[in-house]
Amino acid sequence: MSTRKLSVLDPTGYPPKVVARGLSQSPGNLDGRTLFLVDVGFENSDRFMVQLQGWLAEHRPRIRTEVVRWKDQHAPDPELCARIRAEGDAAILGVGT
Amino acid sequence: MELEVDYGVPAVAVQADAFARLVDSVARVNGMPHARRCFVPTPVIDRTPDQLRAYIEGDDPVRGGPFMARVLSLLEEPLPQEALRGVDLDRSAPRLVPPGTEDELRRLFEDNHWTDYLPIVLPTEERVEAMLAGTSRAPDEIVGQMRPTSYRELWSYDVEKVAVNAVMAGALPEHFPVILALASSGHTARQSSTSSAAGMVVVNGPIRHELNMNMGIGALGPYNRANAAIGRAFGLLSQNLQGGSVPGETYMGAQGNAMAYSSVTFAENEENSPWVPYHVQQGFDPEESTVTPFYVWGNTWNEGVRDTWPQKLKRMVTAQDPYLGVTLLMDPIAARRFVDVGFGTKDALIEWIYENCRVPRAEFWDNFGSRNLYHTIVELGEEPFTSYWNAGPEELIPVAEPDNIHVVVVGGSSNGQWSLFSARHVDRRFRNSPDDPATVSIEPWR
Repeated sequence: MSTRKLSVLDPTGYPPKVVARGLSQSPGNLDGRTLFLVDVGFENSDRFMVQLQGWLAEHRPRIRTEVVRWKDQHAPDPELCARIRAEGDAAILGVGT
Repeated sequence: MELEVDYGVPAVAVQADAFARLVDSVARVNGMPHARRCFVPTPVIDRTPDQLRAYIEGDDPVRGGPFMARVLSLLEEPLPQEALRGVDLDRSAPRLVPPGTEDELRRLFEDNHWTDYLPIVLPTEERVEAMLAGTSRAPDEIVGQMRPTSYRELWSYDVEKVAVNAVMAGALPEHFPVILALASSGHTARQSSTSSAAGMVVVNGPIRHELNMNMGIGALGPYNRANAAIGRAFGLLSQNLQGGSVPGETYMGAQGNAMAYSSVTFAENEENSPWVPYHVQQGFDPEESTVTPFYVWGNTWNEGVRDTWPQKLKRMVTAQDPYLGVTLLMDPIAARRFVDVGFGTKDALIEWIYENCRVPRAEFWDNFGSRNLYHTIVELGEEPFTSYWNAGPEELIPVAEPDNIHVVVVGGSSNGQWSLFSARHVDRRFRNSPDDPATVSIEPWR
């Protein structure tokens, strides 16, 4: 096999610039606060969230929970996001499959 | 992520563990590698309530430790400063890779997942320059944007980047306008879907003859340079220009798809078809050359349009999941037989399939595509799927809407073969823009 060095081009595309995006600080202890359980719409996510709500009711009864459903599993649901911001303190979303 | 970043709500994403590397990758390229996430075992889809409860009471299979303890600690404990800031990421790469011997470069390309693991033509500057002679477009002109799935970021590419991948695939400069047209569509041949979709490509118009494409005997097989190289180029350019197609990270097909090697690329046999060409159905002039990319999953085969064809066709169509699409590839012999039994146009056959190939409501909704992709449309209140959702359990529902049924004539008449490919246009919801056409003209890329 040849030992001659070749010069070849990189075949990959141009990625978008990745700009840092910060997370929101934790609210602290969730007792007495509202936690939204967001079913993102993938099959069986609704059942999962009901089970999650049941676990929280048993083990952390002072956390208020509400199960809600994301309309489109492939895109954010602005109406629901705005409601969660107005009425909630944190959220659990799932289940991604 | 939108809930966290755009609305300021601390949020934990729960994911199935098969997607762990993918989720890590998406978090990183969104500038938030510390995004709160927890994992449960795969699968979730077919689990009972008790099994799901066991997931919740069990351990996180990726991060370790009790699942719920991790969820709650992510929401209740203070985050480090780095998580609150996020992390910039520079992924720019030089135009040339470091020089190397042929062996070294082949290994580099494989190690970086830049090939389909068959030997490639190394894209030297001379070869890329020769490929660029196949178009009038400038090397630095942006061709389009692509991504492996709708929730990942769009990567862009210019004419030279497409040429690099065309060289790697073994394409000739005269093939390049077709390859550029495919790249301009923004549709990927390396969709990351767990369903293992591959690409399929139909070429129409005069360019079929200019490139000596195969539309006769063996058109879908490995018997023609243009068919083979254009299809392979579509696959390679997709994986490399969209930011990768790496199993577990940017590709999640459970079994994969052998059709992805060739992207099932062929020309329609317009001259021997009794019907209008496919691109004319899509609104193009017969003299305009076009290319249409499809997603494809699999196929079934028939020889001859025999007396019991209605029963056979109904079984073929109703056997597949509704979302996938119905694409009939007909040898000219079979196409003429369908004319004989009453279908003077492709549209008449499409209408027959729509009217006659139906399944009960319960069956229509009991599959992955309907439950996960059509049901979203129901959530948005759109028809006809909202009515299909509200139908009685025994009400019959069409397996495919007319715009998800396609007929293409291809074959060399060695028998009356006709095949049903589970293939469809890219869903409008997953195009870069919903208005992007399914069929694109090759002419602007000459």
